[in-house]
Formats: sequence, structure tokens, C-alpha cells
Amino acid sequence: MATLAQTAGLKAAAPSPERSMSFFAQTAMLAKRTLITNFRDPAAIFPPLLISVFFLLVNSSTLSGAASFFLPGQSYLGFIVPLTIISSSLSGASIAGQSIVRDIERGYFDKLMLTPVNRAAIVLGPMIAGALLLTIQTALILTLALLMGLQPNTGIIGLVSTLIFATFIGISFAGFTVGMALFTGSAAATGGASFLFFPLTFLTATYVPFSLLTGWIKTAAEYNPITYPLEAMRALLNTGWDTELMLKGLSSCLLMGGVLFTFAIFGLRTRTKRR
Amino acid sequence: MTHTTANREIIAENLVKQYGDFKAVDGVSFKISNGEIYGFLGPNGAGKSTVVTMLTTLGLPTSGHASVGGHDVVLQAAQVRRIAGVALQDIGLDPIMKSMELLTIQGQLFGVSKRDSITRAKELLEIVQLSEFTERRVGKYSGGMRRRLDLAMALVHRPEILFLDEPTTGLDPASRRDIWTEVRRLNREYNMTIFLTTQYLEEADELADRIAIMNKGKIAVEGQPATLKAGLGRESVNITVRDNEDAEKAAILLRDIFDKVQVDRRTVRLYRQNAAQVVPAVVNRLTESGVETISLTLTQPTLDDVFLQVTGQSIEEAQAPAVPA
Repeated sequence: MATLAQTAGLKAAAPSPERSMSFFAQTAMLAKRTLITNFRDPAAIFPPLLISVFFLLVNSSTLSGAASFFLPGQSYLGFIVPLTIISSSLSGASIAGQSIVRDIERGYFDKLMLTPVNRAAIVLGPMIAGALLLTIQTALILTLALLMGLQPNTGIIGLVSTLIFATFIGISFAGFTVGMALFTGSAAATGGASFLFFPLTFLTATYVPFSLLTGWIKTAAEYNPITYPLEAMRALLNTGWDTELMLKGLSSCLLMGGVLFTFAIFGLRTRTKRR
Repeated sequence: MTHTTANREIIAENLVKQYGDFKAVDGVSFKISNGEIYGFLGPNGAGKSTVVTMLTTLGLPTSGHASVGGHDVVLQAAQVRRIAGVALQDIGLDPIMKSMELLTIQGQLFGVSKRDSITRAKELLEIVQLSEFTERRVGKYSGGMRRRLDLAMALVHRPEILFLDEPTTGLDPASRRDIWTEVRRLNREYNMTIFLTTQYLEEADELADRIAIMNKGKIAVEGQPATLKAGLGRESVNITVRDNEDAEKAAILLRDIFDKVQVDRRTVRLYRQNAAQVVPAVVNRLTESGVETISLTLTQPTLDDVFLQVTGQSIEEAQAPAVPA
């Protein structure tokens, strides 16, 4: 066994108490670590993507004929792709939460807590990694849709805007799964929590335009925060730029993000509070 | 080698940790000097890990005060984390990552530059004999390899004070000896203060300058191992008989010869000064009474004896998981 005596040349500098990594560098490093672990163990990435692609293929094949009745002159693909993206964002949002749960269960979270790392970086790192993975996921879905014949009404700007909406939605819901992970430290609870939001994808203009909804489902859709980014993305891909819809979609995303991010911060405080 | 004059003391003053009505740690006090190795022993559930949790800033004391390197563990937790290295009982390593990645991340979080953290990681991997396994994920490591990597993680920022919570549990004897060698070197060459909890009395005897034995949340005894053993002042005669019934019978037969008699299943331990002189009388009395002696040994006091006297149970019994009432 080599010994410290043999390696006591101390080639590597010792940290000075004053020197520390910046918050952004810490966050970036921990985000990179989450990306590495997810790419090495991609079980959390592929199922949501494959399920979303499956529904995209099935829905576009089975409903595109009937869609001519309620979407005259519009592409059904452009109508259904935003829903596919939102569904995959919801399920993919659990990536960040599951990453944190794994760290808690394996004791690595405590290991990080014993370092001078900024506590917020421990949470933001996985959330940013999750958002990046969702962006890649959304880009893949859009690429597939383009291959299937999607012709976005607003061109490349529309595609980029759709990506941004997807990332916003994903990072908002990541706040919820991260919060659950921090509050419970349980993989089952965190995994189950992401399913709580699935009804939101059905209590909205899922298969028909918002204008055709009536009764209680219309009321539910009006209060459903998913409705507005969904309508905004549909406009981008199908009918053209609509500033009012864009602002409503963006506001809804920011509202969801604010609420769910606050939830994550409370989770962080609870988890890191010394007892 | 020159040592810095930094404060490397660990001080606990009347430390209490209470969960509801239960006091896990009940008024623990000690002072560990610069460069001392302090062994912390006790049965499962005695409160050892709770003390470590408080000293390493993961938990708060209910009352009392503790400082590590002159920094208050409650009010100056960040400073404590900078100067302390911690290898906890539950090894907290991400199994999907590789050793070099974990060490460089750890180094950078402590403020070491990326380049220096890579150099440092290589040094440490050499020390803990994992240089050949840098491309293997930690999840594929054996228990011993993970323990060694965990020790390396604790050393990455060149701590002045090291907390080792059962660092050799699960290791084979050779790996255990390697860790002991490194612990001694860290202490000798860097004057590192080391707080060592262990379930191996031999380990504490081998490494620690002083030991404390905790029982039911309190420090029952503290001192240098040699002093504690000498304090018992008596040798022990250990007799193994055929069955538990014979052991009880032997204890009754011999109790007037010895100061203290303990029965542990088929083994009777008898304590007195100059025990060797009474061995013939012991053998005669057992033979005359028809108690068959399977083995008889005469031992000098060990830390086992100290542990047994303080806690009322042998270390083997003490390690058994606590059964909820």
C-alpha cells in the first residue's frame, strides 16, 4: 500500500478557508453529475419518451381523419404534438426528484451536506439537469413530428418557442417532484407524485379545441394551468403567432413554476434543517 | 515533519440529545487534544453515532456545547465542515459514479481547483489502493473497496480533524491492518486529531491514545487503554464447561475464591488478583463436584474485560441489533 509518507510531496494544493467554488459553478457541476448518472442508468429517461412517442403515433393515426370535422384546414399532428410534449414533460419531470431521492437513499446527500456546498445548488443542479433532459426529449419528439410531416406555422421560431414552453413546464413540475423527494426521501412517494398531475392532461382541451368544450370540462380547463401553454403551443404549430395566447401561456408557466418552486424550497429547508 | 499550530481540539461539554422522553445522549463531556486519537466505544444504541452526528454538524444538540477545532458546531457549522473530514458508518457513495469523479467533485466542492483536485484524487487513490479501478463504477466495488474510497473522500480536502465512524467494519483483516497503518500515519505525520468509533476493541487498543466507553447515553469510563486495563487490577480465569447448567453450578462452586464471577452461556469468567495461584484449587473443586471442564484459560485484563465491566455485556452481545421492547 502506498502511504501518505510516500505521497507527502503534497502536489495538490489544499483548499484555503477563503476560497470556494461559486454558486453557479457548484450548480453546474452537480447538474453535470446528474446528467452523467442519468445517461449511465437511463431507465428514467426512456420510458416517458417511448410512451409519448407511442401515443403520438397512435393518436395521429387513429384521430387524424376525424379531426377534419373540428380542425378544418389545420394539421392534426400540429394539434396533438403539444399534448404529447406536455405529457412527456410531466413524466420526465420526475427525473430531478428521483435523482435526489437516490442520493438521499444512498447517503450521498449527507456526504454533500458535510461539504461547504451551497444547499440550493444541491437542489438546483438536478433540476437543471432534468430540464436539459426534457429539452432533449422534446427536441426528439419535434424531430419525429417533422419527419411525420409536421409543418409548423411559425417556422423555426415556433419550434424554439415550443421547446421553451416544454422546458418551462418540465422545470415547474420538477419543482414538485423535487419537493416531494426532499419532504419524503421516498422513491415510491416521489414516483407516485408525478402521476398526480396526469389528470391535468385530460382536464383540458385534450382531443378537441378549447372552443368546442362545454359544461364542467370547460370550467375545469379554464382553471387548469396546463391549458394555456397547450393552447400557445398549438397556435405556434398550427394557426400562427398569437401574442395574447403566448402571454397567457407564459404567465401560466411562471405561476406554476413559482408555486412549485416554492414547494421545493420548503422541501429543501425541511430536509436540510438540523435537528 | 512540521505541524501547524492550528487548534485541532474536539470539546464536548454536557452534550445532550433528546428525542421526546428518550435521552440518546445524556450529558457527555470530553476534551480531545491536538493530534490525539480518541476511541469511542459502546454497545449498539449507546449513543456513539448520535454524538458523531452532532460533532460533524449533521445534527443539533438538545443542550450542551461542542466545538471542533475551536469552532462551535451549532453556530459555526460551515467552518467545522471545512476543517473536518468525515467517513460515516453508512458509506454515502453514488454507485453509478466512478472513484475519480467522486473525488474530484468532492475536492472542488471544498474549493480545490479542478486540476489540483484531479492530482489529489490520484494521490488518494494510490494511497487506498484503488488506482487500478478508476474506470469501474463504485457500485461494482467490494465492501472493502468502498470503505477505502470513503476514507479517501474524507481526506480529499486535507482535514485537520478526522471523524471515522466504524471505518473498518466489514473489512477483511489485511484491509483492516492497511487502514490502521494509514490512520496512524495521518495522525503521526499530519498531527491530525482523529475521533474513531469502532466496534472492534482490538482496533481501539491498537490505535487510540485514549478511549471512552459509552453506555446508555453516558460516558461510563474514559482513559488510556493501558490505564483502564490496569485499573481492573485482576486477571481472569475463563472456564468453558459442557452446558449452561454446569456453568451455573461452577459459578456457585467458585464464587468464594474470586472477587467477581460472570456467566456467559457455557463460559464462566472469574476475576481476582494473582488468579494463576488459585487455578489448581479451581480444577480440584470442579473435578470433585463432577463438573467437566472443556477448556480453562488464564488472561490478563483486556479492553473486553473493561467493556464487560462497564456495560455488563460482552462486545459480541453489544453488537447484536437492539430488539425493540
